[in-house]
Amino acid sequence: MTEQVDARGLSCPQPVLLTMEKLRSLNQGELVVLVDTDTSRENVSRAAASLGWQIKALEPEGDDYRIVLQKG
Amino acid sequence: MAFWPFKKRSQRQAAALPTGDRGLLVFSHTSEVIRAEKALKEAGWRIRVMGPPPEIRSGCDLIIEFPIIEKLQVLRVLEQVRLLPLNVVPVSGPLLKPVDLFQVKDFGRYLMVRAANMKLTVDKDTRVIVSVSGGGCPDVPYLARELVGRPLDAAPRPRELGHTLCGYALELAFQEMERQCS
Repeated sequence: MTEQVDARGLSCPQPVLLTMEKLRSLNQGELVVLVDTDTSRENVSRAAASLGWQIKALEPEGDDYRIVLQKG
Repeated sequence: MAFWPFKKRSQRQAAALPTGDRGLLVFSHTSEVIRAEKALKEAGWRIRVMGPPPEIRSGCDLIIEFPIIEKLQVLRVLEQVRLLPLNVVPVSGPLLKPVDLFQVKDFGRYLMVRAANMKLTVDKDTRVIVSVSGGGCPDVPYLARELVGRPLDAAPRPRELGHTLCGYALELAFQEMERQCS
């Protein structure tokens, strides 16, 4: 089952910090992150890449974004 | 130099002066604040860039706090670089107390420093920059790209990368983060 972080409604840097904590605990696999601003989308993507995770998909969902991160 | 007790002190360690000894330089634009700060620090004056107090409704989002007793000397330095403050205000009451530019928030493993409109977040264990956010300036994505993922000690300085108020504010946050992490 794919893990998910719902960071909608949170201001930076909280979406990044929640995502990083989850990525560290998972170590590898797939994680879906939901954010609701362009800034959070960019910051989460950047932080994930810095930990060696790839952005498998980045899809707008209404006013939000669904980021699918993958590693391994 | 005994008559000029505020000169030639360490600017980074500039502690708050007692109310009544302080004055505020109000400028129209943040670019003027940045130029004034540079000129005054180069001249050896003990000044601090801060947020404007609630009572001051003119000018930009930054003010310079300086020792009011040295008003004429300070204005002379500014004249030399063709800077004219919009207003010079003595700090005469609590509503005229300038606001600290920095906000520090501890997220456990992470530490965030906010300076004006910019936030810098660092992993306390590794000192790696994990987030750069805030702003609204066109160079913020570039600044974030250059800084995120790098340790504080190996990251380029925002002042060398940025050309906007956001770059300037991020440099202030960077300096404060270095102080917090030292």
